[in-house]
Amino acid sequence: MMKENVVTLAHGAGGKQTNELIDQVFKRHFSNPDLTADDAAVLTLSGKGKIAFTTDGFIVSPYEFPGGNIGKLSICGTVNDLACMGARPKYLSCAFVIEEGFSMEKLEEIASAMEKTAAEAGVKIVAGDTKVAGKGQVDKIFITTTGIGEILENAATSGFNAKEGDAVIVSGDVGRHGCTILLARDEFGIEAEDVTSDCAPLWGTVEKLFEATDKIHVIRDATRGGVGTVLYEIAGQSNVGIRLNSKDVPVADGVKGVCGMLGLEPLYLACEGRLVIFAPQESAEKIVETLRQCPYSQNAAIIGTVTKENAGKVIMTTEIGSETLLPQPGGELLPRIC
Amino acid sequence: MKTAREIIESYKGRPLRIMEVCGTHTHEIFRLGIRKILPPDIILISGPGCPVCVTPAGYIDEALFLALEKKACICTFGDLIRVPGTEKSLAKARAEGAEIKTVYSPLDALEIAEKNPDKEIVFLAVGFETTVPGACLAVKKAAETGVKNFSILGSNKTMPRAYEALKGSADAFLFPGHVSVISGTGIYEELCKAGVSGIVCGFTADEVLTAVATIVELSQKNEPFFRNCYTRVVTSEGNKAAVRLINEVMEECDAKWRGLGVIPSSGLQLKEKYAFYDARKRFSIPEMKGEGAKGCQCGRVLKGEIKPCECPLFGKACTPLNPVGACMVSNEGACSAYYQYGEN
Repeated sequence: MMKENVVTLAHGAGGKQTNELIDQVFKRHFSNPDLTADDAAVLTLSGKGKIAFTTDGFIVSPYEFPGGNIGKLSICGTVNDLACMGARPKYLSCAFVIEEGFSMEKLEEIASAMEKTAAEAGVKIVAGDTKVAGKGQVDKIFITTTGIGEILENAATSGFNAKEGDAVIVSGDVGRHGCTILLARDEFGIEAEDVTSDCAPLWGTVEKLFEATDKIHVIRDATRGGVGTVLYEIAGQSNVGIRLNSKDVPVADGVKGVCGMLGLEPLYLACEGRLVIFAPQESAEKIVETLRQCPYSQNAAIIGTVTKENAGKVIMTTEIGSETLLPQPGGELLPRIC
Repeated sequence: MKTAREIIESYKGRPLRIMEVCGTHTHEIFRLGIRKILPPDIILISGPGCPVCVTPAGYIDEALFLALEKKACICTFGDLIRVPGTEKSLAKARAEGAEIKTVYSPLDALEIAEKNPDKEIVFLAVGFETTVPGACLAVKKAAETGVKNFSILGSNKTMPRAYEALKGSADAFLFPGHVSVISGTGIYEELCKAGVSGIVCGFTADEVLTAVATIVELSQKNEPFFRNCYTRVVTSEGNKAAVRLINEVMEECDAKWRGLGVIPSSGLQLKEKYAFYDARKRFSIPEMKGEGAKGCQCGRVLKGEIKPCECPLFGKACTPLNPVGACMVSNEGACSAYYQYGEN
């Protein structure tokens, strides 16, 4: 009997299988020189300068969670993808798929969160689409946002640019969004009041970074799959090794506690307001200092360095000073976190 | 006085084979990089500690039968979804339309049954002493509240007989911390008399190093030993309420372990009083032979006869994304841990 190949939840978890799906289906059909492997495509139109262009779908369950809702998330996700390319977000479009029977009051709350977040990021929502699906054909509300931004003249970030000797910086404590969603689903009976999503628009932060220095090789926002997934992506794209010091990775106590109980690795839990930055050692201190003065990155830290050896791998110095490979992400982590 | 680490690092004696029988220990030992600081004569072996790993293929086939033939809604702990049965896994069946839900507690499955009275809900009861009380509680509650559409497909196991079966595989065991919280340490005193040595071990770096150092020291005397090195949570009597509950709802039976075969009195099944909640009886499940994949060496890995990377399928035909054997499925399985932490 022939086994039928089907899409599984693991294909949506952001790890190896997601990449395989993209490579084997979408890339095969859509391939062209401008198709991006970064957070946003870098394009040149007939005018001056370069633009960044990206899109992102949001199906988070539950659609409201401590620290935000699907509306705020849908703006942050696209704004942050543009920001990672050093692009000032200019315009967004948003497409809604709403389930029949969805509360008008909740929709209002979602729209209001989008308005507020877009204003903070300095981006305008200029186009939209609304579809209502029959009961049960969609789970409450799904949003897709598409964004366009102008790339700063002194920005040239890409996942292919990490260099031997670079410092690896994370802009704050890791794993908060994933942990928050996990608890908000109320499946474990664990309450942790101090665990809230880190969901935040980061253009303001990135703008400050480029005011402070031109020497930034890579910026990636750690969403689905967490910081660990980003590190493996960059190690692969730039063909370098990454040496991580486990003691230096900032993790909030609440997240640490929940992860300990459930056997999860915070480095693989989603973030929605965290940047992973690769930059030469000489600018690393300045970057951390700048980040710490920004509202969403006060716990920024240098967590590792880029090495020539162990290309494609992330090696971790453990708490007892031994070393181990950071396991590669894969499989079904937590579905529908963004 | 020497620290635990100094005792371990300066060990020069006969080779010491230490087997951990708890998936969380396997995982933590890798995560902390403990093997890398051991001298060559202290050898850590990963034994049959992960409930997913010891679940035989035939059990998955039974669950598939319920999901596909009987159209029951299967509720299960997440890891089991990817374990290969003879022809496919539950994950594959789910993608093909079978109703398979991940739950974190058997009580969640009972709740689903209460909310869907027109559907048969079957909970896949696997695991050791740590998960058994939850399954017992769900069955007891179902009986008390008269929920008729709930049942369990049992494959629960207990550790004591397994240690005896594995006696020749290791010089000493790291006894599992979580299981011991429930069962208490009385059983280890008994095992010690039967010639099985071991230490109840916690999960932090200090606790694991202390347990290994204690084994190193006590092994010098050449007689069976037992110590509890996880006293902050493990007591001699264990969790009495949980043990009472288990004894009320379940009774000992022989159990089939993947790789180890049938070990007498190493399993638990529902007592006659609760037979109504036994999915095998309710749905007259035919006997499933359950064949493991050709070439899969999970059985030898579980007995500590070979390292995962010595299996010809390891990292080639069998990876965490496409597991052939059960030990490659769960994060806490020995093969998965070896693969993920790059030990090959």
